[in-house]
Amino acid sequence: MVSFIDVINRAWTGPYYSEKDYNLKVFVPKLREIVKKYKIKCDPENVVPCDDDLADRIFKAGVELYASVGTYCVDTQRIIQFTEAEIREALAGAPSAPVFGEGKDAKALVARKPESNTAPWCFLGACGVAVSSEEIFVSIVQGYGEIPLADSITAPSLATLNGTAVQAGSPLEILACIKSVVLLREALEKAGRPGLPVMNSIATAVSDQGKIAGSQFGLRPSDGWLIGPMAEMKVNFERLNEIAYVTSLGGHVVVDASPMLGGYCGGPEGAAVTAVAYHVQAILVFRGSCHDSFPIHLRTSCSTDRATLWVINASSQGITRNSHFPLFNISIIGSGPETEMEFYENAACVIGTVVSGSAGVESPGGAKNAVTDHVSPMISKWTAEVAHAVPGMKRDEANEIVKRLLLKYEGNIDNPPQGKRYQDCYNIKTLEPSSRYVELYEKAKEELTGYGLNFKF
Amino acid sequence: MNKEAIFEELFRAIVEVDEEKAMEAANELVKGKIDPLEGVNKGLSKGMDVIGERFEKFEIYLPDLIMAGDVFNAAMEVLEPEIMARGKSVAKKGTIVLGTAKGDIHEIGKDIVAMLLKTAGFEVHDLGKDVSTATFLQEAEKAKADIIGVSALLTTTLLGQKDLIDLLKEIGKRDRYMVMVGGGPASQDWADKIGADGYGVTAKEAVSVALKLISKKGA
Repeated sequence: MVSFIDVINRAWTGPYYSEKDYNLKVFVPKLREIVKKYKIKCDPENVVPCDDDLADRIFKAGVELYASVGTYCVDTQRIIQFTEAEIREALAGAPSAPVFGEGKDAKALVARKPESNTAPWCFLGACGVAVSSEEIFVSIVQGYGEIPLADSITAPSLATLNGTAVQAGSPLEILACIKSVVLLREALEKAGRPGLPVMNSIATAVSDQGKIAGSQFGLRPSDGWLIGPMAEMKVNFERLNEIAYVTSLGGHVVVDASPMLGGYCGGPEGAAVTAVAYHVQAILVFRGSCHDSFPIHLRTSCSTDRATLWVINASSQGITRNSHFPLFNISIIGSGPETEMEFYENAACVIGTVVSGSAGVESPGGAKNAVTDHVSPMISKWTAEVAHAVPGMKRDEANEIVKRLLLKYEGNIDNPPQGKRYQDCYNIKTLEPSSRYVELYEKAKEELTGYGLNFKF
Repeated sequence: MNKEAIFEELFRAIVEVDEEKAMEAANELVKGKIDPLEGVNKGLSKGMDVIGERFEKFEIYLPDLIMAGDVFNAAMEVLEPEIMARGKSVAKKGTIVLGTAKGDIHEIGKDIVAMLLKTAGFEVHDLGKDVSTATFLQEAEKAKADIIGVSALLTTTLLGQKDLIDLLKEIGKRDRYMVMVGGGPASQDWADKIGADGYGVTAKEAVSVALKLISKKGA
């Protein structure tokens, strides 16, 4: 595979374009041409497609797109380009079962195929949502660690340090990143699972300095170091600096990428093709161990409307049928903790992605991941239980269930209930959810059982 | 071509995102000594209104919005000298300086707001991403801005919005500028807490808020 040093060299020597010209004269016209050429069409009535030919066309289109548009480096204003042969070589040589974690919590993240019978990996956690204090941070991470189905956790970001608000790019960011890692390890020890991998490294980090400095205080090469591009198909030196550091440690880069429906990708068809291009980029530029895809809708800022669900499922099927490089998905949900809607929204995403062959599912925060403390272990437990109930299901069966779920929440998608803060729906000392929250969980579980979901946990 | 036909051509050029057509119609208008301001109002701006509505309904997407804006600007390059030669100017709703807060590299949302503000008749100075508080202030002074808009997508960059307001108070310039805030973690509560003048949950709402602020200022 093309070496990382060669990637950096190409960032200095590739074709020069202004960022606007890259967006509008390179990326957009090529994507539109390719969507047309491969006759890709979204069907919002069937959000879990069951069409292998469509899936394969989306994959081919994504590979062709990446071979044409490459990755734009915003610092040099040049395109890092690869030939189709280099892309094929990278796909063939990509990792297929990276091992994360330590000791008895070490486990391989294994690529799956659509309708696979194997259970997916469960990335449970806060998905980077900000929490307001160190006390909440430890309580909530311990809560994730205590969920038996957790294969790994994702940490929250720390919004304050000793009561002082953390400002990105300031020394406070560095201090908060260090504190986050120390607290993560403390919380996972309290949970009795010190070897559990943390898959979003330091969510508090905005800068490369924050991530690298914080990591010295307890992050391990066996954790997942989350590093992602900018929309669409762009990278900057800060992210490349992080990759240089992590790969030199022998660590795992977890590449998160979010094609934006309604943005430069255009409609759902373009977003699905772009998701595949990101998959290839994750291997070649980001030197990833796995790819975390979370297509998102520009208007709702979440992933649970019909069009975005189609994008997630169609692109995931394209990727998992044609690549052994592990893919997983996050569902960004609009609703927040202790609401009925969060169970439905989340289940709609999880069912679709698991049946579409994703190697794993990541539990969401809440309230579009945008509101401090609006996150809870309950939705993570739910994510895992739903994910384990899906293997073996057929895509058309999953499609019917997801359609029923959509009817439950799509009317509220433009104005979803934000729900409660963690400390208002959980006892942060005993880590017990409120009785109302338990009631909502049990009701949703009963309802989904009625829809045909065979819960094993 | 009569003037109504030229206005129609200008309108269609925007709606069809056709720069060549826009340039031809603009040149035709100048050649025919037709009032260029009328061409702006009855052709170009009317077209941008339609583009804004279609984007709001998701019938078109971000690239179409930006490209329509570029067509508008290209036609204006032809019409503006003619407008100035007649001793007139395009009525401007106000001047806004906007960007994404220090440390934050997310700018698609801010780009959409910038484009819709231009469409609505604002003079927009887009400072891009990762903009320091000092730069916001410096550029606002330079542009003689009415409004400073600060976008942030992260909880830890949201503080840049508060930082700007605090600085304006500290140097005695809080009354000189109106400050608007936006972005994922921002909210009306946050805007109230830090003393911002306006907040918009969507790009369209941000434009309505900006228009209200300007009309309040003028009143």
